Amino acid sequence: MRHRSRSFMRGGAVALALALAATISIAGQTQSGAQSAAPAKAPVAKAAPASAAAGKTYKAPRTPDGQPDLQGFWTNSTYVPLQRPNGVTKEIYTPEEAEAAIKAAAAREAEQTEPGTTADVHYDFTQFGLDRSQSTFARNMRTSLIVDPPDGKIPPVNAAGQKRQQERAAARKAAGGQYDNVENMPIGSRCIIMGGAGPPMMNAGYNANYQIVQAPGYVMILTEMIHDVRIIPLDGRAQQPSGVKQWVGLSRGRWEGETLVVETTNFNGKNAFQGSSENLKVTERFTRTADDSISYRFTVEDPQTWDRPWTAEAPLAKTDGPIFEFACHETNYGIANILAGARADEKKAAEQKKGSN
Amino acid sequence: MRMKLAVGIAAAGLLLGVAELHAHHAFAAEFDVNRPLTLKGTLVKWEMVNPHSWFHIDVKDKDGKVTPWMVEGGSPNQLIRMGVTKTTVPVGTELVIEGYQAKDGTMKAVGRNFVLADGKRLFLGGSAGGVSDPAKAK
Amino acid sequence: MMRNRFLVVLIVAAVVSGVSLAVDRVTAQQAAVQSTAQAYRAPRTPDGKPNLNGIWQTMNTANWNIEAHPAGPSPVRDLGASGAVPAGLGIVEGGEIPYLPAARKKQQENYANRLKLDPEIKCYLPGVPRSTYQGMPFQIIQSTKHIMLIHEFAGAVRTIYMAEQTEAPADSWMGWSNGRWEGETLVVDTKGFNDLSWFDRAGNFHSDALHVVERFTPRSAETITYEATIEDPKVFSRPWKMSMPLYKHVERNAQILEFRCVEFVEDLLYGHLRKQPAK
Repeated sequence: MRHRSRSFMRGGAVALALALAATISIAGQTQSGAQSAAPAKAPVAKAAPASAAAGKTYKAPRTPDGQPDLQGFWTNSTYVPLQRPNGVTKEIYTPEEAEAAIKAAAAREAEQTEPGTTADVHYDFTQFGLDRSQSTFARNMRTSLIVDPPDGKIPPVNAAGQKRQQERAAARKAAGGQYDNVENMPIGSRCIIMGGAGPPMMNAGYNANYQIVQAPGYVMILTEMIHDVRIIPLDGRAQQPSGVKQWVGLSRGRWEGETLVVETTNFNGKNAFQGSSENLKVTERFTRTADDSISYRFTVEDPQTWDRPWTAEAPLAKTDGPIFEFACHETNYGIANILAGARADEKKAAEQKKGSN
Repeated sequence: MRMKLAVGIAAAGLLLGVAELHAHHAFAAEFDVNRPLTLKGTLVKWEMVNPHSWFHIDVKDKDGKVTPWMVEGGSPNQLIRMGVTKTTVPVGTELVIEGYQAKDGTMKAVGRNFVLADGKRLFLGGSAGGVSDPAKAK
Repeated sequence: MMRNRFLVVLIVAAVVSGVSLAVDRVTAQQAAVQSTAQAYRAPRTPDGKPNLNGIWQTMNTANWNIEAHPAGPSPVRDLGASGAVPAGLGIVEGGEIPYLPAARKKQQENYANRLKLDPEIKCYLPGVPRSTYQGMPFQIIQSTKHIMLIHEFAGAVRTIYMAEQTEAPADSWMGWSNGRWEGETLVVDTKGFNDLSWFDRAGNFHSDALHVVERFTPRSAETITYEATIEDPKVFSRPWKMSMPLYKHVERNAQILEFRCVEFVEDLLYGHLRKQPAK
């Protein structure tokens, strides 16, 4: 059952008689004023370079009610890690380095797994077009998404944060094995919310897509994974009392010129971003920098976890819709299968033990 | 020096995505690495749901007895963006699926590789390969 | 001479105003008759369409049973009066849902087993039009190309495609909606349903052939007339219709809050697979 290494595909390798309307475009797009244009031998993914430099000369079209228009389908799919890798000191790659990094990562993603290994017990992402190279990704020349602190790393966790981490680890241990019951399983597997739904919005690995729709007084962001929606009011209302806490917190937005500034507090702490507490405050800044890109910048503050705020930048690239319904919980056979499988394993182990007695 | 850097970065970048993906769904806990199988059957329904779609197939054994199986595949959403619909894979399509059976021994599996009767891979990727070694097919 | 001319002017003016008063009265009478048909003209969005933006909710007991029904006990004894069923005059035009005979039997079976079968209990997506009258608020976010309906229950999302009208790529719980404007009315045509949602807690159901056409017509600054025509030849002998007002949330700072009910039903769904303590 050894599967051959997949070579980069062009367009869609259609297996069936009925033609698939492949919408993948091939070469990377070039952008005027960007730090670098995609070289001719760009990877096959459609990549929309995002650049702050381009943002200065670009003025976004307006919605009918006069907001800068952020509407459409966007992705934050990226190969850039949150934190700068060890051994890398520069902030921005050269175009050649960035291309090489993308190519190597894409090749690794396309590598086929070895039969009989745990990694092989999975459907093949490339078969369903879910690997990053087969859909749009947001080109980003940075070596890390974190831009502040300047070393590209999350600041050290302070004493209160460490205490909380220890308490959470102890609680996890006391709860038992990961497959003892549904409550011990990851919240994403349970279809409650994906870890990276945020805010801040983090790359989901696949289906990392969003739809933004604006109406007078509101910006709506629909996250593809588990159909998460944030409706952000722009009327300057006060934050809610601390009694209302939500998985995605409560967001309030305002326009500062061309930039949508969204402040979110009132997190319930159950989907703790990077180990943060309920006191987390996230400030996001959305600025349309080109027809096909939005600059997305977020600052994270939590004095109960870090002694200083930190900031990251993860551009959004325009992509295609639609976002099809993500009815995760409704067809979550996986949870039942996993729990049943764990119980079957335990039963087998118990019987073997009995047999050997 | 540059090449080394590139590999290092690529690994780190890949780790970010892969770690999230694996955390989401522990396939190795649902399906048994020690129960590899190859199923040959006809499609009854492709349940196009998220985050994982399910292929319901009828598998006929050599005596003609039909057993329904359900096989887990990937999200249909990117395929939908490429124009795939519920009629793209017609009911009755013959499929050969290499994968691993559910740990609890029921007629469920994860599809590592979905291949059509003519040997072509379903949907995307790979060169025409299908079941590469008939000797390995069960 | 001057006084005569003045008198003439007065008389003419009186006659003219008398005639125009009479004309006004006739027009007013016609307007009164037409007022139900004559739509209230809603304020416009900046792109010139009737403005449906806002947070809306129904005030009826349709989610318990869309047909007329008396009050009744809770299916869960321990909930007592809190879980009991309030009476309702029904929202189905003509009174009864025109089921095919076999389908009516299935509805009755559904009702008898509703605690096990009602998808709402499991926090499954509510489908259409149940999401409208489910009893929790929803927000309409109206843009030119897309109108979004965001429901508090389970965060259910409906995308109404206004610009490009396309076919459902696959079946879903909330269907695939194409929308268009007909004067003051938003018409939403939805197909591509799976057969898994119900219309209410009484087991009223549909197949995957369900086709729903909704009409949203503003009737005042804070109400919308909502109508839905249901068609499903596998289940009903003919199309049938329901209608009800939608009421706007007018309190300051009104907003849709989270009702992520998955957490609330996990023990119900998976508790039997829990690891039991070692004996």
